[in-house]
Amino acid sequence: MKTPSERRAALIRLVESKTVTRVTPPLLLPAAPYLDLAGEEFGRGLLLTTANDGRDYCLRPDFTLPIAVSYLDEGLLDVPAAYTYLGTIFRQSENGPEEFDQAGLELLGQPDAGQALDQVLTFARWALAIYGVTAPSIRLGGVGLFEAFLAAADISPAWQARIRARFGHPEAMQRLVERLSRPPEKTGGAAPDGRETVIEIVTDAMLSSGLSLVGSREPEEIADRYLEKQTLAAERIPDRMVRLLREYLEVSDTAPRALDRIASLTASYGIDIEEPLLEVRNHAAALAALSPKAEVIFDASFSPRLDYYTGIVFEMTGEDGAILASGGEYDRLLDRLGAPQPVTASGCALWIDRLEAEAASR
Amino acid sequence: MSTGGLTLAVPSKGRLEEETRRIFAEARLPIERPGGSRSYAGAIKNQPQITVRFLPAGEIARELIVGAIDIGVTGADLIHEGAENGPDRVVFVRPLGFGNADVVVAVPDAWIDVTHMVDLADVASDFRRRHGRWLRVATKYVNLTRRHFANYGITEYRIVESAGATEAAPAAGSADLIVDITSSGSTLAANSLRILEDGLIMQSEAHLVLSRGAHWTPLRKAQLEAMLSILGGIPPGISTIL
Repeated sequence: MKTPSERRAALIRLVESKTVTRVTPPLLLPAAPYLDLAGEEFGRGLLLTTANDGRDYCLRPDFTLPIAVSYLDEGLLDVPAAYTYLGTIFRQSENGPEEFDQAGLELLGQPDAGQALDQVLTFARWALAIYGVTAPSIRLGGVGLFEAFLAAADISPAWQARIRARFGHPEAMQRLVERLSRPPEKTGGAAPDGRETVIEIVTDAMLSSGLSLVGSREPEEIADRYLEKQTLAAERIPDRMVRLLREYLEVSDTAPRALDRIASLTASYGIDIEEPLLEVRNHAAALAALSPKAEVIFDASFSPRLDYYTGIVFEMTGEDGAILASGGEYDRLLDRLGAPQPVTASGCALWIDRLEAEAASR
Repeated sequence: MSTGGLTLAVPSKGRLEEETRRIFAEARLPIERPGGSRSYAGAIKNQPQITVRFLPAGEIARELIVGAIDIGVTGADLIHEGAENGPDRVVFVRPLGFGNADVVVAVPDAWIDVTHMVDLADVASDFRRRHGRWLRVATKYVNLTRRHFANYGITEYRIVESAGATEAAPAAGSADLIVDITSSGSTLAANSLRILEDGLIMQSEAHLVLSRGAHWTPLRKAQLEAMLSILGGIPPGISTIL
């Protein structure tokens, strides 16, 4: 590939290849689904405009959501689909509004999720090759592996949920681990008599401050969490499990070494996560075979911030550290959008402007 | 914009106006408002090169950020709120010792299980599963809220923008909790709201603020230095960073 236009032509050939369907969602999209799905954190990156009827619209900030929504709207749930895209996305950045060229692949409802992920990795690898990037740094993360690890560890479900909610957010996770590592705090005052009493106290407080007992948090919910907090303070996670959690999250190395380390680490604590580990190993091996020159790192603490990611996630970076491609498995996405049954999903997005910059700098 | 002459924006009403005019008057820069409270133009005696404009404090912050005025008195919170990169677009010359207010996170007092931001993170993370919608935060401080919540890893919530009477939002059912300013906490307490123990987002007070984006010619910089030296308490040379 020599000139930018030749590279562009090759990219178009890739997104229009026979086995996939290229789609082009509208540039102007309702903003609510994005805010519902990804919350305020993603919302701050949207370029918004308001319709006459007061509804918010945004300039297309990504392709995954509109593609998943239309897959759902068209009732294709049982139909394996492979969509590709290439077009402009718009985001707010430090320097004001910006537009980027993005390409990508979305595989929805595929019967073999593992195969689908390998297909995604292959797509990303070919796209990078068009731009002459044959030795990217690849970072793999295991969301599914971490969930399996938590479930197998000697950690109560209430704590598991709290730890899981912080996965992919290093600062929040570190604060939690530090909190878990400290000696138990004395909870002030004697515990109230029991659930019924606490519910009564909370109900009284809500009524006297004019809060509705329905619609927001309800007295039972508040009381239960209050009691759970007391229980959690009393029933701490065993120190050895906190140590294990800390050591697990610190693992970051070339994929085979990192996965060996996790295997021996968990085994030494008597925890069995062989099956999900094997899955990660297989994909890492497939990736290594695809890009023999790439450096494949498995980082146990790596996860995108969005909570609909499920299995394996990845990002590929170029020489200056810019992310060129990212993606993974996100089986919870269609569930979040209201799918009545589980739908497997995996995909990746490519930052074409950055790829072009990589190619031009060679 | 002319090459000479400075625009100074002063809050147009209330205690912020009074205190600003008092401080300038004490520095022998009395701000005159010939048309009274309904006029929006003013002047400083013996300083014909300074044009005074009376504007709402929020508008002063926005105009400083975009560079439409040169100097202004406004709350630090409003600069932070005016734009995500607001603080980078201005220079905080000096705090003025009035207009003190804390921007805080407050929850219904009945939420006895929520005392810290970590509790809020827990509540937010399974709120949607329980209630079929996001946790809602009423505030007019959208940028400050987003930044503070992001620092605590809270992503699963929505902001409900509130223009006034934010403290009434939980009782009205339009939000679950609020981010608002408070000086004594009494309005919050009257609405049965409690500030989280680590819920202080920022301590704000009125500042004298310079716009980095204004058109600073050497002449205007010199005029600025002259005015600041009369005002006092500001080391000379600040205009070199503009």
